[in-house]
Amino acid sequence: MTMADLPGATTTTTEPSADGRTASPDVPSVADASVAAATTPSQQFSARSGRRAVSSLRRTVTSVWRLWFFAVILVCWWFLSADSTNTFFPPLKNILTQLWDLWVLGDARSQLWSSLEHFAVGYVIAGVGGVLIGALLWKFHRVGDAVSPVLYFIYVIPTAALLPAIMAIMGIGASMQITIIVLAAIWPTLLNTLDGMRGTDPIKIDTARAMHLSSTRTVWTVVLPGAMPQIMAGLRHSLQIGVIMMVVSELVASESGIGFFILEAQQRFAITDMWTGIIVLALIGSLLTFLFILIERVVLAWYLGARAVEQKG
Amino acid sequence: MRVLDSRWFKLTARLLVVAAVLGLWQYIAVSGVLGKDAFPTMTGTMAELGRELQTADLWQAVWDTVRGWGLGLLIGCSSAIVVGTLLGLNRFAYLSGIPVIEFLKTVPVIAILPLAIVVWGASLEMKVFLVAFGVFWPLTIQVIYGVRAVDPVVRDTAITLRLRGLRKFVGVTLPSAAPFIATGLRIAAAVGLILAVIAELIGGAPGLGLSILTSVNAGPSRLPATYAFILVTGIAGVAVTSLFAYAERRLLHWHESQRNTASRAA
Amino acid sequence: MTYSQSVTSGATESGAEPVLSVRSLRKAYNVGRPTEKLAIGDVSFDVAKGEFVCVVGPSGAGKTTMLRCLSGLLPPTTGEVRFEGRKLQAVPDRLSVVFQDYSRSLFPWLTVNRNVAVPLKVAGVAKKEREARIQEVLHAVGLGDVGKSYPWQLSGGMQQRVAIARALAHQPDMLLMDEPFASVDAQTRFDLEDLILRVRHELDITVVLVTHDIDEAVYLADRVVVLTGAPSTVAEIVDVPLDRPRNQLSTRSSQTFGQLRSHLMRLVTSH
Repeated sequence: MTMADLPGATTTTTEPSADGRTASPDVPSVADASVAAATTPSQQFSARSGRRAVSSLRRTVTSVWRLWFFAVILVCWWFLSADSTNTFFPPLKNILTQLWDLWVLGDARSQLWSSLEHFAVGYVIAGVGGVLIGALLWKFHRVGDAVSPVLYFIYVIPTAALLPAIMAIMGIGASMQITIIVLAAIWPTLLNTLDGMRGTDPIKIDTARAMHLSSTRTVWTVVLPGAMPQIMAGLRHSLQIGVIMMVVSELVASESGIGFFILEAQQRFAITDMWTGIIVLALIGSLLTFLFILIERVVLAWYLGARAVEQKG
Repeated sequence: MRVLDSRWFKLTARLLVVAAVLGLWQYIAVSGVLGKDAFPTMTGTMAELGRELQTADLWQAVWDTVRGWGLGLLIGCSSAIVVGTLLGLNRFAYLSGIPVIEFLKTVPVIAILPLAIVVWGASLEMKVFLVAFGVFWPLTIQVIYGVRAVDPVVRDTAITLRLRGLRKFVGVTLPSAAPFIATGLRIAAAVGLILAVIAELIGGAPGLGLSILTSVNAGPSRLPATYAFILVTGIAGVAVTSLFAYAERRLLHWHESQRNTASRAA
Repeated sequence: MTYSQSVTSGATESGAEPVLSVRSLRKAYNVGRPTEKLAIGDVSFDVAKGEFVCVVGPSGAGKTTMLRCLSGLLPPTTGEVRFEGRKLQAVPDRLSVVFQDYSRSLFPWLTVNRNVAVPLKVAGVAKKEREARIQEVLHAVGLGDVGKSYPWQLSGGMQQRVAIARALAHQPDMLLMDEPFASVDAQTRFDLEDLILRVRHELDITVVLVTHDIDEAVYLADRVVVLTGAPSTVAEIVDVPLDRPRNQLSTRSSQTFGQLRSHLMRLVTSH
């Protein structure tokens, strides 16, 4: 079993999706799961309608309009819970008021910053490390091959299970949390980088040789750009895992952070407070992913464009 | 460099690496380099593992984990496939539903854990809920995507062959969606296991995670057991991912992506 | 009138050293294993400076394999290939290759300008001169104003022109082309054929073009090398004494064209 066989390893832009085992030719076919799942349906939709040409105002209006269902759900939640006496599901109104009091007016925000700091450090290390190690494992493929069973094993251990081990070594504190985040988040990026680089179209390699590119140059101008869609997908998956691990590490052993806030509120039976924490966490998670998608759209503009062209059939 | 690429050399290299890692572990534990008592010895852990494998406790824990994982997966995946298909087939539903689902997909499932604990306590139900919830959103998106992303040429061929309705769904849409669904299922299986372990480790639901937690709390004397459980969890992870990957390869052997791998390996 | 000309010495008619010299080229895959397959049996021919040589053969004759051996991308099993007198080690500097599948050969993450710039950067050409040359070569292939577009925004024919421009950017001595017009429609094919003839004439480069299209081979070439099926050998080298400049209408309807065409057809189909 090689690293290339690692299931769930590769995902092209977006989802913890795609087949990933495909050697995606440069403008991959829609029939290719890894490719087609490459962008979110809304990205797909945008690309397909050639929306780059449409004014951004019109785009905003249409996006807002499409949120009707979302709005409906919120409204339903509001009214259904309005008279709720259930401890576990307090009225939405109360939750939102508390949210405002604690997080906007109050000082609960400081909990958030400490979490995000750990996350940021952990994610950057995981991202950079993942790409570097992935690239190295690609370059020295024999080493990659020899090391792959061990890496595979560590990859599939649910990282939460490693918590005790990490805690034993590093105690409780920032470095432990960052280590957990790195350990869990590095894999999608690493595996995707490796697989993306491996999947370089052989015709491009031939072209590079025919144009007398040195091997370093070939990596920079041909292999890496070609692997970018997959690397970005890995980075996105790493982002999501990083957020989860940030919270997990706080739930287990921490004195601060949003995970700690939620847990503490739950232990105090301050359910409304707990809900505010959950909502804030949800918002942060989606905000980060949203930011990532924006960056992805810029970095992979060529890829989205090429796929849109091909999709028209 | 032929010899370096031969099969037996690769196998030996891999075995050497595994042996080296195990050796390193032993060294770290014995020398106390990373802190005394932080690590049990490798040999001690292996012995403990052997012991545990013979007790009912370990297997009960494995069963508990698998049970929660399996049920959660079943509920989450079947709902995702149903909802995803319905949304995928209807354009309006798709456009309306996508913002909601995509938003919810980015929500870290872990945020729900405290809520689930509060509602169900440290139980199987809590675990099943967490797994199902965590698996539902990304898989739904996968299914929607698969149902919608039919190759334009295949789509046009279906039209010229006058395939409509159920025939078209079964003959064209489903097979086209199959790789996406398969990938989604494979990921769901892995994610589900992670969530199950988290539910046990942090939420206290019975299973391997709880076993790990209990032995951690029992102190340094039970350290080998802790690591033994961690290893078992890892093996479970390997088993799950391999199983799904294998199933996917067999069932989808006809698909381009599988064929590519074969030709690339050649 | 004799149609064929056998390969004798390394010297060409004019007495100059041939640009490309192939001697007893033999290529086998999976050597030593039970799946060993001999793609090229024994191929020898020369290409003189400024010549346009087409290589034809039946399907599966190993034409692409041969082109890869000629370019230095693939080492031969036995025999040798000499470019400008020197034995091939890697792809020589003064040689360019145009592949059949332009959509996979061009880099989709680079604009047309940047795609064409790649070989110039490798050759170390300074920025100002680079830009001038890019414009020059794009104009030469008839793509004056698409520099800022991405390849996938262009039609198939235009993409192949970009690939040709990229191959010509650093002014090579020889151009190797692997069925370059097979993936475009017939009308575009005629345009591209005329393009390559014009470019060859203007830049005075040597061209070796592999094709399965016999009409194309006769239309373009000075000489046509006919390969047999695998394991390929040279069945015959056919001289094409048609006047230049060639014209899609008049040349193709001439009697000589028809005769050459049937002769080649007979050769290819009989093997």
